[in-house]
Formats: sequence, C-alpha cells, structure tokens
Amino acid sequence: MSTYPRLQSLREINRVMTRYYLQHKLTARFKPLAYITSGAPVEILEALGIATLYPENYGALCGARKAAVGLCEVAEAAGYPADLCSYARAHVGAVLRPQDAPLRGMPRPDLLVCCTNICGTVLKWYQALAALYDIPLFILDVPFQRTTPAEPHIITYVVAQMHEFVDWLEAHTSRRLRPEQLASVIALSRQAIALWEEILELGQHRPSPVNGPDLFVAMAPVVALRGTQRAVDCYQSLKSELEQRIAQGVGAVPGERHRLLWDNIAVWHRLYRFFRPFMDAGACFVADTYTHAWTVQLDAEDPFVGMAQAYTGVFINLNLPTRLQTITDLARRFQVDGMVMHANRSCKPFSITQSDVRDELRDVLGLPVLILETDMADSRLHNEGATRERVAAFLEIL
Amino acid sequence: MHTVGVDVGAITAKAAVLENDELVATAIILAGYDRAAAATQVLEQAMSQAGIAREKIAGLIGTGYGRVQVPGADRTVTEITCHARGAHYLCPQTRTVIDIGGQDSKGISVNQSGRVTDFVMNDKCAAGTGRFLEVMAHALEEDLTALGPIALSASRRVQISSTCTVFAESEVITHLAAGVPKAEIIAGIHEAIAARVATMVGRIPIKDIVVMTGGVARNTGVAHMLEEKLGHRILVPEQAQLAGAIGAALIARG
Repeated sequence: MSTYPRLQSLREINRVMTRYYLQHKLTARFKPLAYITSGAPVEILEALGIATLYPENYGALCGARKAAVGLCEVAEAAGYPADLCSYARAHVGAVLRPQDAPLRGMPRPDLLVCCTNICGTVLKWYQALAALYDIPLFILDVPFQRTTPAEPHIITYVVAQMHEFVDWLEAHTSRRLRPEQLASVIALSRQAIALWEEILELGQHRPSPVNGPDLFVAMAPVVALRGTQRAVDCYQSLKSELEQRIAQGVGAVPGERHRLLWDNIAVWHRLYRFFRPFMDAGACFVADTYTHAWTVQLDAEDPFVGMAQAYTGVFINLNLPTRLQTITDLARRFQVDGMVMHANRSCKPFSITQSDVRDELRDVLGLPVLILETDMADSRLHNEGATRERVAAFLEIL
Repeated sequence: MHTVGVDVGAITAKAAVLENDELVATAIILAGYDRAAAATQVLEQAMSQAGIAREKIAGLIGTGYGRVQVPGADRTVTEITCHARGAHYLCPQTRTVIDIGGQDSKGISVNQSGRVTDFVMNDKCAAGTGRFLEVMAHALEEDLTALGPIALSASRRVQISSTCTVFAESEVITHLAAGVPKAEIIAGIHEAIAARVATMVGRIPIKDIVVMTGGVARNTGVAHMLEEKLGHRILVPEQAQLAGAIGAALIARG
C-alpha cells in the first residue's frame, strides 16, 4: 500500500467549512437564516444578507462522520420510511435529536427554500421541516429540462417565480434587494465557478494532479459558499497547488496507470477507504459527473434569466440525451479507460439513467463500466464483501 | 510444468492441477468454517492425486471468496477472471459464462482469448444462488442432488413470486400446506432461480456459446429452465464446478 499524498488546500477547505457551520450558530440570533437545497439560487439570499445552510451538505457531513446511520434510525423510528433519501433521514434525525448529531445539529432556521431542480424528495422533506419548525417555506418549481437548451416557456416560468421569491424574502426579512448587490454576488459566484471549472479541467493532465475523493472534499465551497469571497480564496489556493503538482510532474495517485470516470454522489461514509483499492492499482478518478455538476453558467445579461437558465440546466435535471452527451464528452476529453457508476439507493434522479449510460459507454466507446450499488450516507446499504469483489474484478479487466 | 489453482468458495473448496495444458488432478471438499484448513486440505488432496510434491509446483493461485486464505499462493485473482479463463479452457468458443455458486451468481462476457470484457453480479441477496437451493432442499426434505431431476419431471410449476430466499421458503410452506405436489413446488423453485438469474444476466450482451459454471451447474433443472428463459442453448461442461480452480491454474502459468 503506497502513501497517498494529501493536498494542503483541502485542510484549509475543511477549516473554512467547519467555521461556516459554527459561524452560523453564532449569527443565527441576529441574522435571518434559511435552509436551502443545493440547486437553489443562493445568490439572491446572499445579496439580501440572509445566511444559508444546506441540509444536504449536512447529510454528507453526517455520512463522513459516521453519524448518519444513528440519525437515520431516529428518523425511521419517527415514521420516515427507510427507502427515503439518506440525507433527508439523517437531517430529520438531527432535527429530532440534535444532541446526537455532528456539531450538535444545525441552528434553527427562520425560512425554508426548496428548489425542485434536483429531486422530488426535497419537496416533502422541506414540507416536513416547515411543519417541524413551523416556519415559512418557499417552493421554487423548476420543471424537468426535456430539451437542450430548455424550452423558453420554462425559463419564463422560473424567472417569474424568482421575482416572487424576491418579494417573499423581502416581506419575511424586511430587507430590500439592491440590484448592484445582486450583481456583485453573482460576479463572485461566477468567479468561484470559473475557478472550479479550471480546477476540474486540470484533471486532463497525465498524471492527473487531482483524484475523485479530493474533489469530493474540495467541492464544499462551490456548493455552499457560492457568491462569497471565501469560495474564491479557497479555489485560488487549490488551483495553484494543483498547478505546482503539474509543474513538478506529481500525480494525485502515485504511478497513475488507469484513468477513470466516476458517476453519482460520493460514498461519504467511507470516502478514502472506498477509493483505496483503486489507488493501490494506480487508478485515478480524473473526472466525475458529481463535481462537474456545479459548473453552471450564470452569464446572461438579465441576472434572473441567467439564474433561471443555470439552475434549470443542472445535471440531474437534464434529459437522457444531454446527460449521455455530457458523460461521453467527459470520457473523451479526460481520456478515461473506464467508468465506475455508483448506483445510489438514495438518489434516484442521479441513478435512473445509469443502465443507458453504461450501454452507451460499453457499446459505443468500448469502455468497461462497473456499476456498484451502495448509498451516499447510509452505510447499512453498503456490502463491503460484494463491493470488494466487483472492484477487484473490474481492476483486473482494465 | 505443474501449476495449481485453488478456489475457496462460500460452500466448497476446489483445486485443479495442470501439467502444461492438461488437467491432471482435481479435488472438491466442503469449505466448512475454517477456510484456511479447507484450502490446505483440498490442495493436499489434489497434489497427492497428481502424485507430485509441493516444491514441484511452478505456480499457485488462489481465487474465490476465501482466496486470501490459500497458503503459499503466489497471488490471488478474482473468481470472475478465473471462471472466464476456466470456461474458455473447457469450451474455447464460449463468449458468455453464467456462474452460479454458493452465495452469488454472475454473468460474464469473454473474448476469444478468455479475457473478461464485462460482468454482472447479484446484489446483497441469496435468491438465485446455491444457498437458495440448499434452503429449499432442507425445507422439502430432499437431497440437493435430487432436486434438478424432480423439477424436470413435474407436469406443472407453481409460481414462487417472492424474490427473497426467506420469504420464498415461507411461500413453499404455504404451498405444502395447501397440498400442492412436491414436484410442482420444486419445479417452481427452479423456475424462480432461472428467472432471477436470466434477468440479471440480461444486463450484459448474451452471445453464443453460453457456458454455465459453478456448483449449481450440476443441477440440470436450473440449466434447463435458464435455457428456456434466455432462449439460448447452454453448455454445461463436466468440470463446471471446477472452472474457477482450472482458470486459476491456467493464470498461474504466467
């Protein structure tokens, strides 16, 4: 077993994220706090000076800290079915029993913002939260994008709701949205996203300076801190560290022999442990559909149209042909030798097209594909023995 | 040159000794609780049958779930790779291998040189495996080896709708209580396994010749009903259960 070189910038990102959670605990008393979904237009809230926290990100944190199973059991005992998304169960468990949750739970929110571009589960999850906390909920309904680009009436529909959303936020917080403030937040968001894209593209180098699990840790700011200077700072230092690796010819995986593509959310409950057999075989995950999902474009002239286009076009809200195009494009650009797909019990919208994608990669690009059934946060759905067998056999055919 | 492959599975341990290209000795024993002891014993049995001393072995490879327990193995290889190589040795024209073992079932696509190009495996469930047949044989008080012929002799097959081994067992008990003839129940059980495996194997392209390996290949009922479900003829080599060990011995030649 070789030693895996860690990136210094990831430590800083972890520190920034811990501070982000703790800081919200302190400011929750005098600054309005909203819980929002990962695909919601956070820029509007940021511009209004409303603090935001992401229950999904917290679910991932529970998974990584091995607290998700206990919290899922709390939610299941309260009547939430075991088939429900493990982020939702872990988070609801943390709401019901914060004393057993990482960071002793998230601070109590004032508002809830649910955007349906990522899944249908968030709708019921946030309705449950609205009932548990007895606070207002805004549902931003984003239809599935059947064509690419999205049909104009969809964008019109989403833009109209975004204006309603602003009115709703202003009424509940007694704040006014200033256009120049929104413009500057969007500019920061774009800067962070652009840097994130540049970071992801560095994976094209041989050897790749970055590996999938590193990116799963590194993605937290582009998910939760879009529109802030902190995200930009994190990515500037990560990018220069990776560029330094490239200059020195250092790869993320020592002795890179195979380049792989990853599909779906990370397996948070055993992040580096899960990837260990791949690393030992010299296999590096040079690109993935998960971290690439945050490379949305916010560059329309009208900021609301820009946000509507960007948030309608998030990866898991896309039709199959566009997903196939995105994935085959990643496979070609990053010159991968195969693909590993996480059939995620929790995330149906992410997993539902996997058989078709597998067929396309195998039959059109001639690449071996491994589908592994596990879960992003609930380790009870993980079968270590079966996973080990499949991974070993897959590595043998590469 | 002698090479040996030892396949320590969920239920049995198998060993195969090759002298160059020729299969010269084989052994199959129950794996029991102590996998390391079973591996040692099956290896010794095959060696004594071949009449060669341990130090004469040019290569030894362990495979199967207990592969890391094989004493003195040069290295380990997964049973997916080994079954493909073994099936290819037993039938060089094979392009699809269906391996049903004690605790899992697999579909494997192989190329003309016996290398794996794709595979699927059952997930987290004993239905469609040898264990399922064992549980049913126990519930019906029948010998495991008698099940296949009984299944094929039945004029009707009851439907076992449950896809879970535990629930299927209670379903069987319900049928028995209702007075359904045992043969019809046994036929239904075989059909359920075949349906489950066929659905799984359908995820890889099924190309002829289809070869079945693993312990369950000895059950003619499963093989026959799988042929029905897949619409492909299935070849069951005499040494089907040894395919993994044979493949390991082939890979050990380097």
